[in-house]
Amino acid sequence: MGGAVAPPMQRNMTDKSRRDFLQKSAQGMAVAATGGLIWSFLVRQEAKANPAAIRPPGALVEADFNATCIKCGQCVRACPYDTLDLATAGQDIPIGTPYFFPRDIPCYMCPDIPCKVACPTGALRADLSDIADSRMGLAVIDMENCLSWQGLRCEVCHRECPLRDKAIGIETHPRQISKHAMFVPIVHSDACTGCGICEKACPTEKAAIRVVPAELVQGKIGEHYRLGWKIDTPITQEFKPADDRPAAQDDAAPGEAPGLDYLNEGSF
Amino acid sequence: MSITRRDFMKSTVAASAAAAVGIPISQIAKAEVAEAEKDWQWDKAVCRFCGVGCGIMCATKDGRIVATKGDPDAPVNRGLNCIKGYFNGKILYGKDRLTQPLMRMTDGKFDKQGKFAPVTWDQAFDEMEKQFRRAHGELGPAGVSIIGSGQYTVQEGYVAAKFMKAGVRSNNIDPNARHCMASAVAAFIQTFGIDEPSGNYDDIEYTDTAVLWGANMAECHPILWSRITDRKLSHPDMKLVNLSTFGNMSSSVADLEIIFKPNTDLAIQNYIAREIVHRDAVNWDFVNKHCVFATGPYDIGYGMRNTDKFAHDAEKDIQAKENAVVLDEAEAVAQRRKAGETVEQKNAGGAGKHWQISYDDFKTAVEPYTLDFVAELSKGDPDESLDDFKVKLKQLADWFIDDQRKLVSFWTMGFNQHQRGTWVNEQCYMNHLLLGKQAQPGNGAFSLTGQPSACGTAREVGTFAHRLPADMVVANPKHRERSEKLWKLPAKTINPKVGSHIVKIMRDLEDGNIKFAWVQVNNPFQATANANHWIEAARKSDNFIVCSDPYPTVSAKVADLILPSAMIFEKWGAYGNAERRTQMWREQVPPPGQARSDVWQVLEFSKRFTVKDFWGEQKLPGLKADGFEDGKLPDVIAAARDMGYSPDDNMYKVLFATPANTKVAWPDPVAKGHDNHTVVALGENWFPEKALFEEYAEFGRGHEHDLAPFDVYYRDDVRGLKWPVVDGKETPWRFNGEYDPYVPKGEKFAFYGKALKAIPKGNLDGVTDPNKTAHTDKAKIFFRPYAAPVEQPDKNYDLWYCTGRVLEHWHTGTMTRRVPELHRAVPTATLFMHPADAQSRNMQRKDVVWIESRRGKIKAVLETQGRDRMPKGYVFLPFFDEGVFANKIALDATCPISKETDYKKCAVKVYKA
Amino acid sequence: MSTSTQRLGPNGKPVRPFVMPDTLSGKLKVWRFIIYRRIVQFTVLLLFLGSVHWGWSVFDKPLLVGTLSSSEFLGVIPMADPFAVLQMFFTGHVLNAEVVIGALIILGFYAILGGRTFCSWVCPINPVTDLAAWLRKRLGFGPACNLNRNTRMIVLALALVLSAITGVAAFEWISPISMLHRELIFGIGLGLTAVLGIFLFDLFIVRNGWCGHICPLGAFYSVVGRVAGLLQVHFDGPTCTHCGECAKVCPEPQVLNLKKAAATGRVEPGDCTNCGRCIPVCPEDTLHFDWRPLLKNKTQTTEATDRRAA
Repeated sequence: MGGAVAPPMQRNMTDKSRRDFLQKSAQGMAVAATGGLIWSFLVRQEAKANPAAIRPPGALVEADFNATCIKCGQCVRACPYDTLDLATAGQDIPIGTPYFFPRDIPCYMCPDIPCKVACPTGALRADLSDIADSRMGLAVIDMENCLSWQGLRCEVCHRECPLRDKAIGIETHPRQISKHAMFVPIVHSDACTGCGICEKACPTEKAAIRVVPAELVQGKIGEHYRLGWKIDTPITQEFKPADDRPAAQDDAAPGEAPGLDYLNEGSF
Repeated sequence: MSITRRDFMKSTVAASAAAAVGIPISQIAKAEVAEAEKDWQWDKAVCRFCGVGCGIMCATKDGRIVATKGDPDAPVNRGLNCIKGYFNGKILYGKDRLTQPLMRMTDGKFDKQGKFAPVTWDQAFDEMEKQFRRAHGELGPAGVSIIGSGQYTVQEGYVAAKFMKAGVRSNNIDPNARHCMASAVAAFIQTFGIDEPSGNYDDIEYTDTAVLWGANMAECHPILWSRITDRKLSHPDMKLVNLSTFGNMSSSVADLEIIFKPNTDLAIQNYIAREIVHRDAVNWDFVNKHCVFATGPYDIGYGMRNTDKFAHDAEKDIQAKENAVVLDEAEAVAQRRKAGETVEQKNAGGAGKHWQISYDDFKTAVEPYTLDFVAELSKGDPDESLDDFKVKLKQLADWFIDDQRKLVSFWTMGFNQHQRGTWVNEQCYMNHLLLGKQAQPGNGAFSLTGQPSACGTAREVGTFAHRLPADMVVANPKHRERSEKLWKLPAKTINPKVGSHIVKIMRDLEDGNIKFAWVQVNNPFQATANANHWIEAARKSDNFIVCSDPYPTVSAKVADLILPSAMIFEKWGAYGNAERRTQMWREQVPPPGQARSDVWQVLEFSKRFTVKDFWGEQKLPGLKADGFEDGKLPDVIAAARDMGYSPDDNMYKVLFATPANTKVAWPDPVAKGHDNHTVVALGENWFPEKALFEEYAEFGRGHEHDLAPFDVYYRDDVRGLKWPVVDGKETPWRFNGEYDPYVPKGEKFAFYGKALKAIPKGNLDGVTDPNKTAHTDKAKIFFRPYAAPVEQPDKNYDLWYCTGRVLEHWHTGTMTRRVPELHRAVPTATLFMHPADAQSRNMQRKDVVWIESRRGKIKAVLETQGRDRMPKGYVFLPFFDEGVFANKIALDATCPISKETDYKKCAVKVYKA
Repeated sequence: MSTSTQRLGPNGKPVRPFVMPDTLSGKLKVWRFIIYRRIVQFTVLLLFLGSVHWGWSVFDKPLLVGTLSSSEFLGVIPMADPFAVLQMFFTGHVLNAEVVIGALIILGFYAILGGRTFCSWVCPINPVTDLAAWLRKRLGFGPACNLNRNTRMIVLALALVLSAITGVAAFEWISPISMLHRELIFGIGLGLTAVLGIFLFDLFIVRNGWCGHICPLGAFYSVVGRVAGLLQVHFDGPTCTHCGECAKVCPEPQVLNLKKAAATGRVEPGDCTNCGRCIPVCPEDTLHFDWRPLLKNKTQTTEATDRRAA
């Protein structure tokens, strides 16, 4: 119906009914807008409910995962270890989406990744072919409560890690106060899949190694810097000047030289 | 679970924050903790688990262990623990702890096919006495047995051994230490004439080279491993070699990992010996003064039954090798014979005999063990190049021979659980002795133990079928005489015939030669190889099995009567670790329900028998000994009467509550207020643990095994003492004049052990001069050849199979699997396999697979990325998990000398379940 | 029961009220569509439940794995909620072919079937709202407020707009239908409180409030089902006395525009959920499911209709 020109029928309306109509329309739109706002608030709240949720292997980044997961639970059914669960309403995990608590049941890293195979939407990336490439989270060690970091011979996480020595390595350090070495577990983020077997296996009362989404804990070295001993960069022998390098300026306007403000103002 | 998932997620986030910045605990929280812990009472104790013997401290409150900590003053561990030790306090509190005697009953009466039902201690002992009398009456002393333990406290082992050897006159008492240390013992006795290592753990901090021979110390001796690793970190020249049949956790710190084929450690050691000879590196000063060369027969069998009467069809081909073996190529070269030759195993019954040979003979014997021959034979990883392997062997020999380099060899089950376990132990001494690298700080061959008191109890007390306390043996008349004197027994009370070792007790149950077995501190029906046979024998034959245990184990389930036992901190006790350190603890908490200490159980049971029950004439089939009528133990009741015993005196009074012992009064100030439930349950006022310890210690005092007085071990400033303790001083290194008071003054070294010093002369083929010469104060350098494993992979059973431990679990898992955290960490035993072997069988990790041997089949989950890196063709399965039951399919071949089972090699096939 | 004045319908026949039969078999006949619907609803639920929890399978292929949002039948045939997929499409994400094919299969299925068959035959909320409606009638609650039935169209539009704005499938994140279904299959949570909310809303506030006014999924299917499908309620115009019994039981009475129906010979598709309530209560047998397209022999049906009319 509606267009730029009001239909003839409406032109015959009385002022009152016109006012009523406008009022009703405005009210309707306001209700819709209010409802929409509340609705979108709810959705946004829910969709970011817990940034610490650990997702099945191959899950897209959280926002994309939330958008593409259709909440069907086929991955849950496919998991042979009952690792996965769908979040119910009221949980801190985005509703209906699959997650797991590694301390209860971790991901045992099936080579055939049945959960990913079951996913109909691609919320679990179909192109994940090697389970070792999955990144469900990152194991983080609470050094203060890790028995191995205190010198005890535990290292259960290291021995149980399915990517032992790649994802969790052991460094040996002298203990200083006695003639015993310490065997401290170190998580390597480049290999840790976040499967959580370490968290499950950790024998302390509350796990001293836990899987959390990498974004929550991982820092980043500045793009402008490289660790000298880690990247081999020989001196470039045939240097090629850039094609679009800035040309030398020979007609800069007087009075606009950078630094003048500092040089000319203020005292010493 | 007390926390909800929601709380859990919240705490996850909080802790990761703490990991980053370290949230400080507030002063208020600290004060609250201090308040809660203010009435905790601390006392020193010992870790319940392995042979390392870490000191721990126990805190008790309201009759419960509320916490433990590593003892910072304990020199072994300086406050540290491994993850098992960390849970010492929790092992007592499993949900299914047994609290009352349980007997198989039908309609209120014992019935072997009945269901377990609770009974009183009186009912339990009544039936036990009846069954004991029945077996004893029918078969004599040889028809009853005790299956003991290297986890016995010193006193438990002592009362069990004394009850059997002095009371019942039966030598059928043998511990699970047979499965663990017997080969080491046999080699110690044959080489040095006395048991247990010369060195101590401080060797680690003195040495430049540690060589592991079949010892995954990283997992099985965790705290010692951290000392070795620390030595490596702090001493740049320290070298570490890990010899193993597969890549294990100990390789991670090692400089050299040598993966060899099963049994070829025999060849590798002879290669080193040949290098020593060829490089003219023999330390002649040392060898001439302190050593003689020796050898023994090669045709000694494999410790299996020599009849196939009890073998299942599939077992018969291997069993037949007990009687005759066709030599393979390598064996033929190694033993200087022809390949394909059939060798009757004539010396299976006399495997331990040996004789002196010349150095020239020795040289001839090691000559075939060239680098080429040994490398070809022993390379264990098909993916490794032969040249690389040769370089490694040569490097090992170089480090051995380097006279600037101190060197310690460590081993445990890789050597001991070996069809030639005694040989391979002796070969280790061979190389150390040839180089003079023995019995000095940082130099020595050091046999590690697996159990907390394999040394302290099983070996020192002598709870073996052939032993008496302080390294004496039943076969030696002088030892019997001395024991009878100390025990105040009539002459010829002690049975001179060696009893049944633990595997033989099982076989005796199967063939009806033993009809009563009492299992103490042990889970033999899960731990003994080829377990299907023994479980069936126990359940289906006419016999009576008693199992004393704190938990319902496989052995308890197999038994007819279960007696609830007190656990470590619920009784007074003492353990002796691998470095001869005796450590004691007090009773910290009462045992639950009607559970009682094993000491009480034996003492109480002994009250039911009198002098006339055992000390009259007893039939003993097969007995042949000087001074004894064949097949009979003499009546000694008359002699006993002369000594003041009445035929009606009960064994409790005769053996334990003797006038001397009952003078040791309870209460005793050494208790510092701690209880003793054994005393209370006995209803008397003497202190059995102290009295019996002092009585036992008399055996060793002045006889190279001196223990300190009981009370000394309980001093606040003592954390165990390394025997011999002479004039209040421990002995850090034995046989070394600088440290050992038993070495004659002025001598640098003396291998003064007294056993088997007199031997005949001969050559490599046998004895030439049967006259025995005594080689006082000398050690023997044995030549022992390579011998092929009796069962090897073939077309049908195409994989090597090895069982063993993991760090998280102790033995058959009866304690550690009841600690929820340890169970969660490693809930089940997984089969470790090379990924290519899995792939070629169409299997992948996490598949459930069948593992089948000639002796049966079991199911386990497959793991190709496990902690151990298996070479192709080799699988490993831990034995802690009764659900998997690794020992059902293991071969029960033993070292024919030590009778210790070889759990490390047999053949299996693996396929998808 | 007799009335003093006999009212006549537009066709000249006397208007007869619907009388509930006394016999059980008669009652069962009246309730038959409710029974059929419950059977279908619970069978669908059971298939999902059995496949997930008890490993139901045929030839080693799991029977029906997933939820109404998306599932797989016998390990090969994908199925998906087309509305959910449409929302996800609005979020701007590219989806796997599998789920798109699944959505098309379901879309096609309901389009061919016609009407909002999903709503009354499959949707797990339907028994809840039916119960609320029944109770409301028994307790005689009047309307607490009025709500335009087209509200659901606005909600439908909002769902798509909000999907585009928030970047997630907006309705799927709050859908009590999915919550209930998911929680019945994968474990109970607070989703049931949302269901309780709908129940109370329907019971106390608006009659057929959720299904008839708000639910955007229902709105979606009414758009899809607008084209005449296989399953529809046939209206035998000449027999109708305009007694109004059908409208009393219909949850979407606007579809019972009798003039229109008389002209087209069928109840207006789209909003009609094919629940079949109207059929047994019609004293004149005017209404009946038209199985015509399902039956080969067209004349047979016509004969049957004629017989009934006679």
